[in-house]
Amino acid sequence: MTTFTRRDFLKGVSAAGAVAGAAALGLPGCAPEDRVIQPATPRPARPILVVVFLDGGNDWLNMMPPTVGRNRAVYEAQRPRLAVPGADLVEIGPGCGLHQDFTGMSLLSDLGRIAWVQGIGMNNPNLSHFVSQDLWGQGSAQPNGTGWLGRWADAAFDPAADALRGVAVTGDVHVMLRGQGRTFVSINGPSGFVYPAWLRGGRVGAPWDPALLQAGYEAAVTAPTGGAPPGQAAAARVGKAFLDATRAFGVEGSLPARTPAVAYPGDAGYPVRRLDGGPLQSGLARQLKLVAQMIAAGLETQVFFTRIGGWDTHANQAVDHPNLMRALGGSLSAFYDDLETIGVGEENAQRRTLVLVWSEFGRRVQQNQNGTDHGAAGLAFCLARGLTGGFYGDYPALDDLDGNGNMRFTVDFRSLYATVLERWMGLDAATTDALLLQGAARTPYPRLDFLPPVAA
Amino acid sequence: MADLTPIAAWTADDVQHLARRAGFGVSPEAAAALAATPPATAISAWISGAGLDVAAFEAALARADPVDEVARSGAAAVPGPHPYLVQGANAWRNDLGRAQAYCAFRMQYSPYAMQERLALFWHNLFATGWQKVDSVALVLQQLETLRAMGLARFEDLHVAISKDPAMCIWLDSVLNRANGDNVPNENYAREAMELYSLGADNGYNQQDITELARALSGWSFTVRPADVVRAPDGSGRTAARGTFRVYDGSANTELLWNDLGAATPPATLPNFRAIGGATFLGQTFADVNAPPTGMAKGEHVLRAIVPQRGPQVAQFLARRLVHHFVTGAPAQTDLDDVATMIRADAAFDLRVALERLLSSRWFFDPANRYALVEGPVSWTVRAARALGYPLAQAAGATAATNRFPAWAIVADFFDAAGMRLLDPAGPNGWKEDVAWLNSGTARFRTRLAAALALGETFRQGDAPRAIFPSDPNAWFAAPPADPAAVLARLVQLLQPAPIPDAVSADWLERLWPAGTAFAWDDAGRQKARALAFLVLCSPSAQLY
Repeated sequence: MTTFTRRDFLKGVSAAGAVAGAAALGLPGCAPEDRVIQPATPRPARPILVVVFLDGGNDWLNMMPPTVGRNRAVYEAQRPRLAVPGADLVEIGPGCGLHQDFTGMSLLSDLGRIAWVQGIGMNNPNLSHFVSQDLWGQGSAQPNGTGWLGRWADAAFDPAADALRGVAVTGDVHVMLRGQGRTFVSINGPSGFVYPAWLRGGRVGAPWDPALLQAGYEAAVTAPTGGAPPGQAAAARVGKAFLDATRAFGVEGSLPARTPAVAYPGDAGYPVRRLDGGPLQSGLARQLKLVAQMIAAGLETQVFFTRIGGWDTHANQAVDHPNLMRALGGSLSAFYDDLETIGVGEENAQRRTLVLVWSEFGRRVQQNQNGTDHGAAGLAFCLARGLTGGFYGDYPALDDLDGNGNMRFTVDFRSLYATVLERWMGLDAATTDALLLQGAARTPYPRLDFLPPVAA
Repeated sequence: MADLTPIAAWTADDVQHLARRAGFGVSPEAAAALAATPPATAISAWISGAGLDVAAFEAALARADPVDEVARSGAAAVPGPHPYLVQGANAWRNDLGRAQAYCAFRMQYSPYAMQERLALFWHNLFATGWQKVDSVALVLQQLETLRAMGLARFEDLHVAISKDPAMCIWLDSVLNRANGDNVPNENYAREAMELYSLGADNGYNQQDITELARALSGWSFTVRPADVVRAPDGSGRTAARGTFRVYDGSANTELLWNDLGAATPPATLPNFRAIGGATFLGQTFADVNAPPTGMAKGEHVLRAIVPQRGPQVAQFLARRLVHHFVTGAPAQTDLDDVATMIRADAAFDLRVALERLLSSRWFFDPANRYALVEGPVSWTVRAARALGYPLAQAAGATAATNRFPAWAIVADFFDAAGMRLLDPAGPNGWKEDVAWLNSGTARFRTRLAAALALGETFRQGDAPRAIFPSDPNAWFAAPPADPAAVLARLVQLLQPAPIPDAVSADWLERLWPAGTAFAWDDAGRQKARALAFLVLCSPSAQLY
């Protein structure tokens, strides 16, 4: 494991590369000397975790390609039509660079705001999206259908309250968020979160009595379900979660309106566009704006889950992947800047928030006709004001692939979870290990040092 | 042990169970009538659609208003006999919402409900998404295939889907090239086994995926020049339908899927085929380009899945069919029994397998009543069938009442309720049973319930119109005499799982407080709507 000093960073940043990165971010004039590593802020009293799921298997080999040596040679040989030329990379560390289309990320990396975990993965990786996502979501050696954040909710949430402590800003609730007794609520808009409501918006009113209907609904979702089919208990649970959440969510089910402090991808005036010149549409930008709005509204939410799809680049990768990187990098950069405008001092949202980005696997080293197929070891990274940037995994050796032609992992993915649970969320070490080991007899997953150990 | 012997007699309750699972419900009167006929012939006919009169339904589809473009955008409507939405001359509109509405309309009114239910089931299994396919016409062509082949032999359905133009785009078959030094694109080959026939890691390995990808290289489709539809403003062209093709050296008269603007079709298709033999699932094929007569190149390799891995395919189908039609919590021995039936008795003939399953004592076992959470689309359709106008009334006689607005509005909310019909996010479709439920999807079901039960209106022209037109008087065979009669009839219509007594007592007390007189007047009918709304929102009504 390698961490980088500021000197190492600056050594690796060419002026041309820095300018390319700044231009991509729409920040003309951001000179290399402005890229001074910021010290990490201390662990916040009220930490927030934002999970970003890159759905489909991110080809991180083209996001952060090798720039020198044996890895570069293998990379170019295996990807005759897809290898990213060195001129399109911004060097961020020894032997690897960031794709210039990964908007804003090289700047944040140079500022020491990103902890890169290269080669993250697991023993016996699975090349199925769905199996691998389940493994990542469950995050335990003995999967039992619950997710690591769901088990955290089971352990940490107040059973009688905490209606909004875990929120999926997606229409579904990923397995990562499912606990035995608690599950995250799904909220994907800032308003209209009331019962009873018309299909096309607005609270149901006269000639009906909304209070009567709400009382009737509450009676139904809180009735004992003993002896009823199992689905009925599940339906009652989510109905009650919805009803509880309506009472904690803003005023009359709506949050105060908020205009983001910065432009996000897709907004009018956002400088980066798609490769073809079209506007950079991004569902992630919409989700992260909503997260910022919820934080600004003072919701108690501690963990948010977001998703950006499209990473399954079997084909047309030379166009699709750069567009995805523009949307992802642009959304993360905008969100990070937006957070800085919310709250002051230790309560500043940028200081309170850590973003964790993951994908279910990396992709095959050897390209197919114009894309890449499913692979193994991946890339995860965290973005926060309160972490120490650098590299916390070893770049896999591209001349030592597994039997399917895929990279071998260098960091177990649960080390990342353990680090975040203990050193960011403040869960004690024993509970952290129990959530991730699930009774398996093995040594606890080592923590990564982008966050400092919690003082005893 | 799943007792798969057929039931010998049945009741109206049994009929309702069948109708909830294998259709979208039936009226209490129809259930009583069906219960008077022997179950074996009735269930067989229910599944095959034999003896159904579909004339009025087909006529309503054909007569349905073409896209009301004048009202929508001021543009002139494309003339011609194109039903409702999407077919033929309207393909260029590529309007997902209209296509969803069209499918929902079919589900609500088709007399052959089983066909629509099965199409929905297979759509979830062979989940193909409009967003990437980017053609409503091709997505609906796939649905037609699912309707036509939903009861075929499984291997024929699997091959038909593998050749389906929308699928060829969705999982990159059209870009799977293995000629020369090209490395094949294994996207479809992987899912053909993992998601569409075997299940993850169930009897195949990475080598098999690569070999199948080679065998299926170059699978694509062409478009007859007559099926290329131009946008009226000349801004683009769309394929109204496609025809599966793979290079075979023969003369070509059709346009390539990715070059619809070509002045003339190429003389032959480009050849992206791998050459040589293949070893797939332990079977050796001397030449991937030498299939038996009547098969496309590579099809003989694909067709090895069922004979080479019959037990695994049968287990896969058993799990999917049971999780949709029978129970969300089967014992492994039950799945084993169903798998054995599918393989040994039905020999992968889906009609036989479904008849056996849906007439079995196990299917009708009380433990399997309401043992599943219903998906949001069929949940909405079932409530609309119960509460909405019948076809004759909904279709009406004039264009002004003939636009079927309900589904065009409602389809926008299927996504928020958890099922973006015709546009799944991934090739794995939607997880069923309790996975349909979360606080967000529960919320949107309550909003759908408001439109269904409370008579929500929208503006069209001057007059407010109901999204789902309904008449509480029509819900009752005779005016109800008291609150309990209102609830009893709504339960018969909406078929929720048993509602706890304390809950129904709470509702009735709130709506008709003790000591108040019951009257079946406007206020009484409003209360009936409120009660229907509460039933639909309740946990009991999420099951089927």
